[in-house]
Amino acid sequence: MSVRRRMNQLVPRRASLNDLVNSMSKSRLFGWLAGHVLVPYWARKTPVHKQPGGARATVQPGDNVQRMMNLILPLKDKTAVGRAKAAMAIASNLDEIYAGLDNVGTVHFARFVIIENNMCMISCYDGDFSNYIRDFVAQLGTVFDSVIALIEDGEAMIPTRDNIDTFINWVHDRDVYQIPDTATELLHYGTIGQPAVKSGEVADLRLIARALILQLHANPNALLGSGYRGYPGISAARIRDKMGFGW
Amino acid sequence: MIETDRDNSFDPKCVQGNILRGYHYARVRHLVLEVVNAALARRWLSQATDGSGAAPAITTEEEWLIKPASCFNLGFTYDGLKALGVPNASLASFAPEFKAGIARRAVKINDVGESAPENWASPFDTPDRVHIIASVYAEELEELDRVERQVADGLGGDGFAILGRHDGWNFDTDHVHFGYRDSMSQPRFVGVHDSDSYPDKQPLVPIGSMLIGYPTEYQNIRYAVPQPDALGRDGAFNAFRILKQDCAAFERYLDMAADSLLDDQLGEELLPVGDEAKFGPDTSRHAALREIIAAKMCGRWRNGVPLELSPDTPCPPEPVSPTDYDYGDDVRCPFGSHMRRCNPRGSTIVQRAARHTRRLVRRGYPYGGRYDPGKPDDEERGLLGNFICASLAGQFEAMMCDWLNLGLQDPRITGSNDPLLGANEAETSWFAIPLKSGRVIKLRGFPRFVTVRGGAYTFLASIPAIRYIANLER
Repeated sequence: MSVRRRMNQLVPRRASLNDLVNSMSKSRLFGWLAGHVLVPYWARKTPVHKQPGGARATVQPGDNVQRMMNLILPLKDKTAVGRAKAAMAIASNLDEIYAGLDNVGTVHFARFVIIENNMCMISCYDGDFSNYIRDFVAQLGTVFDSVIALIEDGEAMIPTRDNIDTFINWVHDRDVYQIPDTATELLHYGTIGQPAVKSGEVADLRLIARALILQLHANPNALLGSGYRGYPGISAARIRDKMGFGW
Repeated sequence: MIETDRDNSFDPKCVQGNILRGYHYARVRHLVLEVVNAALARRWLSQATDGSGAAPAITTEEEWLIKPASCFNLGFTYDGLKALGVPNASLASFAPEFKAGIARRAVKINDVGESAPENWASPFDTPDRVHIIASVYAEELEELDRVERQVADGLGGDGFAILGRHDGWNFDTDHVHFGYRDSMSQPRFVGVHDSDSYPDKQPLVPIGSMLIGYPTEYQNIRYAVPQPDALGRDGAFNAFRILKQDCAAFERYLDMAADSLLDDQLGEELLPVGDEAKFGPDTSRHAALREIIAAKMCGRWRNGVPLELSPDTPCPPEPVSPTDYDYGDDVRCPFGSHMRRCNPRGSTIVQRAARHTRRLVRRGYPYGGRYDPGKPDDEERGLLGNFICASLAGQFEAMMCDWLNLGLQDPRITGSNDPLLGANEAETSWFAIPLKSGRVIKLRGFPRFVTVRGGAYTFLASIPAIRYIANLER
C-alpha cells in the first residue's frame, strides 16, 4: 500500500477521534461526571484558597470608586412570617436609612431584596469597604441590629456598635465573591500550601478555566466582574455636586 | 457633640508615655527587636515595668517635675506578642489589621511599587521577625547609647536580638525635610491636661480615639478591647513608618512648576506682579512662586504659618496662630493640600459620619542629614513616624486609603492623591490650586516624593498589660 493511500485512511480516523473527544464535553454523561466527580476530585487534590467576597484592593484611584456589595444573609425563619419580619425591619426604619445614606455620603444606591429566604443587601459605594460599613454602623447601628437579629449567626454581632471590627468581618465574609475582570488574575489565587503566581513568573494560561471552576466550587455565589458602570470612576458626591443636589 | 464628662478614668501610671503628650527631645533611637528567648524576654519586661534590674524603665503618662535624661517605650507587633507566649485566645481578640501586620495591608494603604514591602530595607524585609520596636528619646547621643546598652546587655541581650536601629534627630528645631516646620498641632484630649495649651478651634478629642477601652468620637462606637482586659485596656495602636523623602525631586519639581507659571496669566493671578515683595526684600518672582506652590501642597508655608490665616505671604504683618483656625473655601487652602486631606478639621466633607473620627497622634523625627539644595547628594533622608490611634483600620488606614489617597472627602479632589505623601505617578498625578477668579491651576507630572522603607503595626501596651505578658508562663 502506498504511503499516500495509508495517509488518506488515517486522516478520517483522526478526525472522527477529534469529533468524539469534542463531543464528550457536550454529552450528558460527561457533564454529570465533570460536575459531580471530576471537580470534587480536583478540589480535594488541589484545594484553592476560598477567595473573600467584595471588591478587591486596588491602587488605581478610578478603580476605588463605584464598588459593589452583594450580601446574602440567610433568614433564621424560613417561612412567609420570617420574610415578612425582614420586610418590616426595613420598612419601619426608612427615615433612618435615608438619613444614614446622606451622612455616609459615598453610596450610589442601596437596596434590600428577599430571595429564597435570604435577605440580600445590595449596594454600590465609593472607597474602602470597612470605612463604608463602619460609617453606616455609626449612623444606623440600631437598624442593622434589628435586621441582623433575623439572620442566621447574627445575634453574636448585636449590638453592632460594640462589635464593630467583628461585624465588619462578618459582613465581609458574606459579601459575594467577585470574579476578576481580567481572566489572568485568577491565576494569582494559589492553591493551599503553594505560593500564588508572582509577578515575573510565567503563568500557565491553560489553567485559567480550571482556576475559575475550582474558585466557583469554593464560592458558589459570584458577581461576574467588578460591575459594569455607566460612568466609571465617578463618585456619588461628584454626581451630586454636578447635579446641584449638594453632598 | 462631645460630652465633656465622658469616661476618662485611666490612670496615668498605667499608660505608656508619648501617646497623649509628646516628650520634645532632640533625638530618638528606634531599636527593632526579635524575641529569641521568650522566658528571658519576659523577665526583662518585668524589670522594665518596675524599674528593677538592668532593663530601662518604661516611661509612663505620669507628669514629671524634672524632665528625665531619657524616656523609653515599647511597641509590640502581633508576631511579637505571639513570640512572647500570649495565648491564642487573646491573640485572636486583636483587631484584624493588627493581626495581619502592616506588610499584608500594603495595598490598602498604597504601599505599592517602590514602597511595596518586598522592597523594604532590612529588617523590615522579614516582617515576621520584627517583634518589638523599643524607642529611646533623649537630648544626647551618649544617652541613647547608654539606654541601648541597657537593652543589649544582661537579660535583654539573651532574650532579644537587635535586628536594626534607626536614629532620628531634630536637625533644625521643628523643621523636617522638604523644609517645612512640623509638629505644631496634635489632638487635645477631653479631661487631659494639655501642657502645650495652644489655642485650637478643633473640638477636644475623647481619649477613646487613642486609648483602647473608652468612648470614641464615633457616635456610640467603641473599639473592641483585646482580651483579657488587663492586656487590652489603656493600650494604643501605632503605625511605625520609615518614610524616605526625595528632597532633590521635590525641589526640582518646585523649580519646574514655578518656571511654568512665571510667564502665565494664571501665575500672575496666583502671584500679582509686585507681590513677591511680601516674601522678603530680595525675593525673586520665581522664588516666591516656588514657596507658594510648596505652601499650597502642604497647607502651611514652610515656616509653619497656616495658609488659612495668611494666604498671601509667609510673613504676615501681624503674627498668626499656627493652630487656631478652621478651614473655609479652597482659595486660601486647597482641598487637596496635605494637611487638609489628612485632617479636614471642621470643614464639610462627603463622609459627614466620619468627621473628626480619623485623627491621629503623630510623633515623628527626621532622619538623615539636612538637605542642601546647593549641594545635592545621595544620602537617604526622611521621617521616622509614629501614627498613634485606638483603631488602625478606623483611623490610620481609613485616612490613608480614602483621604490621603483617592480624595473621597471632597468631590473636587476625588481621583487625586496627596501631592506630598500620596502614591503618585508622574503620568497621572494632579493637584488643583483654585484662584480667586474661580479659575484653577492644575499642577501635573509630579512623582511620588515619599517612599516607604519599612514599618510595623505595633501595640503600645499599657503597663499592666506588659506585666501581664511578663507573668505569662509557657
